[in-house]
Amino acid sequence: MTLAAGLGYALIALGPAFSLFAGVVARKPFLVLTVLSSTLFWLISLIVLSGIWRGFLPIKSGAWWAYAILILTSVALQEGTRLVFWRLYKKMEEMLDAFADRISKPRLSLTDKMLISLAGGLGHGVAHAVFFCLSLLTPAFGRATFYIETCSKMPFFLASALIALGFLVIHTFSMIIAFNAYDERKKSDQVFVPVIHLAAAVMTLVNLAPGGCLIGTPLLLVMAALTLQHCWRVACQRLTEHRHQQHNSN
Amino acid sequence: MADAAAAAAVPGDAPGGTTVLDSLGEDITRIVYPVSACMLLVVLLVSLLSSPSSPSPLSASIAAATGGVSGGGDDDIPTALITALTFVVAVTAATFLLALLFYLRCTPCLRAYLGFSALAVLLVLGGQVALLLLSRLRFPLDAVSFALLLPNAAGALALAALAPASVPIALHQAALVAVAVLTAFWFTLLPEWTTWALLVAMAIYDLAAVLLPGGPLRVLLELAIQRNEEIPALVYEARPVDPRHGRNWRLWREGRQPGVGEDLQTNSGNSSSSQVHEAATLAGDVSNSRPRVTLVAALSSSDSTVAQVGEVSALQEHRVAVAEMSVPLIQPRPQRSGEEVVEDEDGIGLSSSGAIKLGLGDFIFYSVLVGRAAMYDYMTVYACYLAIIAGLGITLLLLAFFRKALPALPVSIALGVVFYVLTRTLLEEFVVQCSTKLLMF
Repeated sequence: MTLAAGLGYALIALGPAFSLFAGVVARKPFLVLTVLSSTLFWLISLIVLSGIWRGFLPIKSGAWWAYAILILTSVALQEGTRLVFWRLYKKMEEMLDAFADRISKPRLSLTDKMLISLAGGLGHGVAHAVFFCLSLLTPAFGRATFYIETCSKMPFFLASALIALGFLVIHTFSMIIAFNAYDERKKSDQVFVPVIHLAAAVMTLVNLAPGGCLIGTPLLLVMAALTLQHCWRVACQRLTEHRHQQHNSN
Repeated sequence: MADAAAAAAVPGDAPGGTTVLDSLGEDITRIVYPVSACMLLVVLLVSLLSSPSSPSPLSASIAAATGGVSGGGDDDIPTALITALTFVVAVTAATFLLALLFYLRCTPCLRAYLGFSALAVLLVLGGQVALLLLSRLRFPLDAVSFALLLPNAAGALALAALAPASVPIALHQAALVAVAVLTAFWFTLLPEWTTWALLVAMAIYDLAAVLLPGGPLRVLLELAIQRNEEIPALVYEARPVDPRHGRNWRLWREGRQPGVGEDLQTNSGNSSSSQVHEAATLAGDVSNSRPRVTLVAALSSSDSTVAQVGEVSALQEHRVAVAEMSVPLIQPRPQRSGEEVVEDEDGIGLSSSGAIKLGLGDFIFYSVLVGRAAMYDYMTVYACYLAIIAGLGITLLLLAFFRKALPALPVSIALGVVFYVLTRTLLEEFVVQCSTKLLMF
């Protein structure tokens, strides 16, 4: 439905990402590079996943359990990628600290570390939104719109943009929670992130049922809000602890 | 969220305020942005103007010239390979010619050649793209205005591309990107297999020409380093565009030139200044030293073929205290012309301003790959874009590791082709299957 609609859908999916990018990430060039590299990571994990599943496609439309297995494997692989990313980040942090010592500048502060994890999560979220939503959005710039059979009340593009938005928020902020949890070795948060990811992904299975997207999409956005709230709590807690530590040590 | 409300104050930061994260990696992003902008423009042009009803006259003449292939051209592999091979041979010959001219110190010839090629690209290719755009967007512009606007715009941009000292940096960089976009768009008009064969052939050529001892680019580079001169070429240089210091910085640079008594016959890409003055600044400047690796790209074009020599020049900032690295720069060499200078030594607010230079040929071939990916689908565009940026990053890392001239094309083109093939065969099915059922993870 013309340029305005196409742009609208694109902005629904990626608007918050753009504002995060322009407001936070673009200020520090290192974060831009972090976003690009984490996007690349996510793409590689997606290619590996599609390589594994290529032999089994196309899946027959009645076999929803096959989709469930697909989602399980995908989430498992992505959480594994997150762990790998965490290891790489630790190495990078060591190198950066050594570098900072060499040029006698202060080391990475807590805010910096959280910013890096935010940029990493943003990379994952943007990659997800781009590959699952944006690359299929080209027909939306034309003159008509498209409805799929199982979702006859919402244009396909709108549904996919909303779901992409939900996942963008989930990916971005769960990366902060995850890095924080790995850093502080908090088991509860370490489990929280994969559980939320799995729950959100399984929730999209509801979209397979007719009319399911009307239930699935709002629930997904609720989960995104949940992730956001949890991340806010974790971040505030960590930062106040840090300030208390600094005050006590001064 | 009572516990969250209690911690509403701005969280404490490191006592120093700014940390190492503030400016690290700035030189890399300053080259990533223009490369991305060039690719974006080419993708936009391709999506607006793709599948023209008739092949453009230039590509038809190319097809006719390179093997008598008729009309739309047989797009099969042998023809593609022959075309690619012919192109590589032409480029090699042109580079050897360039090296010969440089050896004979024929700088006016080289500069005239550069000027002619830039003007030809902007006038002919720019005019063709403008006409296509006008007809596609149904923009009302009459022939007389067009005939007035095009030569003027082309001349102004060509001048901006060739004489960086006399125009604002932004205009100079924009002119270079415009030349790259136009050339890349023209390349994407070639048939599919030919484009891919050409990309792979150019990547292999780049690798061979820079690294093999007899390669033309290596010969050219060694000549340039031996004489400590700058090869006249069209090179994109990621200088910082700092509005506070821009004007003053320019004047400060040019104010040094008369003091040295060199002839001001400088080349594109660098303003020259005295090495002695540089050293004085360096000695006082604690933080920067630049191991210098210079590669230069010369964009030359003849009537219907565009030959280019692609290299990457990178100046990496290492933030080490003034050490042996700066010693070669302290030797006074006042009588040379066109000295290579270490850029951006100001230290006033331009802290991480390492000027990485990337040849225009690299811009062009990256954009050709992405443009060709855009002709299939946008998913391949994103995948290839990420692959090329990753390749660029890897090349810069290798550059920092090896500290000598490295070709910029092979890694990026290899990754780009691999990701294109993987996306087209594996990824697309999978993603389309999932997302058309609104299944995301």
